[in-house]
This record gives sequence, structure tokens and C-alpha cells, in this order.
Amino acid sequence: MDAIRAEGLTRVYPHAPAGVRALDDLSLVVPSGRVFGLIGRNGAGKTTFIRIAATQLEPTAGRIAILGHDVMTQTDQVRARIACVPQESRPLYFLTVDEAIRLNLSLRGMSRRLARSRTQDILAELSLSELADRSISRLSGGQRRRVMVAMVLATDAELIFLDEPTTGLDPIARREVWGAIRRATREGRTTLLTTHYLDEAETLSSRLALIERGRLVLEGTPPDLRGRVRSPYRVTVEGSFSLEELRSFGTARAIEPGFLVFASEANARALAQEALRRGARVAFGPVDLEDIFLEVVGRRIEDDREEAAAE
Amino acid sequence: MKLREQVQAIGTLVQLNGLIPIRAQPLYLLNLLASPLSFLFFIGIASGGRLLGYGVAGGMILTMLSVGTGLQSDLTHYRHDLKFQDVIVSSPVTAPSYLIGMALSEFVYSLPGMAVFLGIWAYQGWWSWSNALVLVGALVLVWAFASTLGFTLATYFEDVRETFMFSPLISLGLSVLPPVYYPITSLPGWAQKIALFSPTTYAAQLVQGASGQVAPSFDGAIVDWAVLGGFTLALLLLATAKARWREP
Repeated sequence: MDAIRAEGLTRVYPHAPAGVRALDDLSLVVPSGRVFGLIGRNGAGKTTFIRIAATQLEPTAGRIAILGHDVMTQTDQVRARIACVPQESRPLYFLTVDEAIRLNLSLRGMSRRLARSRTQDILAELSLSELADRSISRLSGGQRRRVMVAMVLATDAELIFLDEPTTGLDPIARREVWGAIRRATREGRTTLLTTHYLDEAETLSSRLALIERGRLVLEGTPPDLRGRVRSPYRVTVEGSFSLEELRSFGTARAIEPGFLVFASEANARALAQEALRRGARVAFGPVDLEDIFLEVVGRRIEDDREEAAAE
Repeated sequence: MKLREQVQAIGTLVQLNGLIPIRAQPLYLLNLLASPLSFLFFIGIASGGRLLGYGVAGGMILTMLSVGTGLQSDLTHYRHDLKFQDVIVSSPVTAPSYLIGMALSEFVYSLPGMAVFLGIWAYQGWWSWSNALVLVGALVLVWAFASTLGFTLATYFEDVRETFMFSPLISLGLSVLPPVYYPITSLPGWAQKIALFSPTTYAAQLVQGASGQVAPSFDGAIVDWAVLGGFTLALLLLATAKARWREP
């Protein structure tokens, strides 16, 4: 069974300018038991999608089923099986770390004994044990964010929504959260993740979807996505070349302290060999998710500008 | 989620939003005591103790109304600033359980104030089983409609600052202008008719009767209970239809 199946999902906010849709006829399938990454620019529609799927927001049109249950007509069945870390959410500041996690489990109906043991486990997993008795009000922003993630990962929810869960975390804390998400996946649970850290999306997700202006632009495994861009290789060069010269190999632009070129594999190799021959510093390899993001989203922005100019 | 688990959720909310914050900062307990005691003080002093009973009756009603306005502020803050309501919405906890749990947690803050007023009430010799039943019944209904009103409004407010504007207006409209701290007969005839639109007028007549300030009549009490109960029920139905749990 799919964890999420959305068909023609559309959302228009009441006071949005005419014609602006937060989601625009979006269809998406999220398989169960995996981490699914949702990426896109600010305002692309990621949070709107999560809020509809997590039963917090009504769609304007379209249907969405969570673990086989319609979110609008079988809401109770959906809510019994999900948990969510909303974007910019924070735990209640007068609780201690232990209370925030344990009482969230108790709210969801878990027995006191199990809640206590689950709390201890997740505190250890996310290196929060030493902070267990500290008031939330005395934690840093990153520590509070970790507590929110701990609150949700400690539940029994089959489908977990994490809306930018690692924003503000240091690299070590991020990796601890990644470890906890992977553990949830090993337990057969599904995670829908949004993030602006594209390395995080690529590292954690077995499938990814790129949303732009409420529409699905790309969807697939990370290698799939790489295969769908026009220029699958990136070359960075420092010195010995002009921008015009580099454009004969592919799409080139100036970056500090040199140039970045997206090219086919053959052109990328040729450019690298030429750069070595001239004694320039050069590095090349497959494009990463950030490159794909920039290319696809950038191309759509350019297309939109051309359309607007033509009108 | 079964009934037992919803009851557990309600108990957890009382602990989470009532008992734990009070343990962390006991001064919270004085918060709901301040306004009603101030009114009681001035009324008691100004009337030379003659209108003390009205001050006690009004104080108890204002304390219950303050539970509703406090709930309104807390829920708005939790919904917008902490996204706590979204965490709850995406969980097995239902909207009625959230409302009841949070309203009970706010009631905990009113306990010291209620203890002071009930102490004066009993000390003045107004205690009897029938008076106590009327008092509890009327105050529970005020608590229920004030909490329902606070919950419903909180689901509409876009910022906690809006509650700072609405709460004093609600207090003014429901506890200061209507005859809560004084007998309805003190108002001119036309104002008495307007006062009948406020549910607290009926609650006040019941509580003032149970505090020995006005002579209770059977017919009058029937009307008071019917209007107060009907208003509370209507507000609950309105909340069911209009409160925004899942954002439309």
C-alpha cells in the first residue's frame, strides 16, 4: 500500500492574488517504508502539501489518501497513524525536555511505562539525555528543534511528516537526526521530509520530488533525477580560460574564483583534459542535487520570464 | 482513539498546561485572582461592606470568564507561535478533547481565586446544599461557555496580539456592563432589557440568589437556567460548526 497517494491536489488560499495556487493539480505517490524527500524553493508548495496530507489544511480540489484512508472522509483513521513536526514549531517552553517528549506520547494514548522507556531511548539516540531535566526555555534553537524531532520519532506513527526538521542544527546534530530517521525507516515507517539542505535530501531519501509553483517538476530516485538533466556533469575550472571559450563545452558561468560548466560526459572529459594541458586547476564529476535544482528551477524561471515578455 | 485514551489525553493536557507551568512559576496562580479581588475590594470599601455579596458573586463569575479569556490567549499563542495545535491536529487527540483538556488546565489557575471567594461566601453564612448546587451549576455553565468562546475565537485569530484587544472587550461586555457586580434592578428599564442579551446576567441572578443578595423565585430560576443552558449549548454547537480545527 502507498503511504501517500495524491491526485490532482490543488490549494488556493483565500486571500491569494488571482491565479496564484499554492498547489496546482499536483499528483504524487509516496511509497511506504521509505524516506521521501520533497524539495523546492521557498513558497513552492512543500509545506502546503504536508499540511494537507497531515490533515491540518483542506485542499481546494483533488484527493489525497494516507495509508489507504481519504484525509477528508476518514480523518480519524489517518490521524491515528501519523505524526508531524510542523515548520518552525517549538516545544512548550515551560516543560523540561523529558516532559515534552513523554507527555506528547501520553497525549497520543501511550501507557506511562512505555512512554517513559521510549523517551529514554530517543533522548539517548539524539544525544539529549544530559538535557533531559533542563527547561525547554533554556535550550538553544537547534536543541529545541531536536526535541521536536524526538517527540515525533518516539511515537508509534506509521507515517511521519518532518517539515524542515534540521533547520538550525549543527552538522553533528543533523547526522544524529538522520540516524534516528534511518532507524524509523528500518522499523518499516515512512517519512515525508522537506528540507533546504539538498545533501540531506539526497542522503536520506530513496525518492525525491521537486516542486515549483505548486507543480511537480521532477520525481524519482536521486540517480533518476541526475539522468534527467540536460548536462549530467559539472566541471569547475580556475584560470587559463575565458567564459566564451568555456561555453563551447556546455553551459558556463563565472563563480568565485573561476568558472562552473555543466556539460555532457564527453565534453566534461575534454574540458578537463584541456584544462590539465594548460595547467589550470580543474575538478569534475556528476552533478549533485543542488546543480539539478538550480538548473531545473532556473530554467523554469527563465521560461516564465520569456512567456511574460511574449505576452 | 478510544474513550479511555481521550480521557488520558485530557488529563495530560491538564498536567501539561496547568500543573507543570504552575509548579515552574507559582505566581501564575495570582494572575486570575487579581481583577476579581480588586473589584471585590472596591465594592466592599465603597459600600461599607453592604454590597460584599454582590462583589463575591461577581468575582466568581469574572474568575470563570477569565478562564475563557486566558484560554483564548494561550491557544492563540500555541497555535501561531509554537504550532502546537498543528502537532495535536495531526494526532489521535480530537478537538473536543483538546478543548476540554485545555479548559480544565486553565481552570486550575482559577482555584486560588475560587477558594478565596468560596471562603468568604461560606463565612458570610450563605452556605446550604441547595445554594451550593446552584452556585456550582451556574459557574460550570459560565466556565463552559467562556471556554468554548475562547477556543472558537482562538482558532480565528491570526496573532496573539488580537487577543490582547479582544479579551478586555469580552470582559467588559460580559462582566462589567451586565449586572454581574450589582443587582439588575439598579439599571434603568431600557438597560435592563439590553442586559438580558448577556448570558452572564442570568448566571449572576442565580449566583446572587445563592449568595443571599436577591430573593430567588422558582419561575425566575427556570428562565435563568434555560437561557444560560441554552446559550452554552448554542455556543457549543457553533464551535462544532465554526471552530477551525482543520484550516478551511
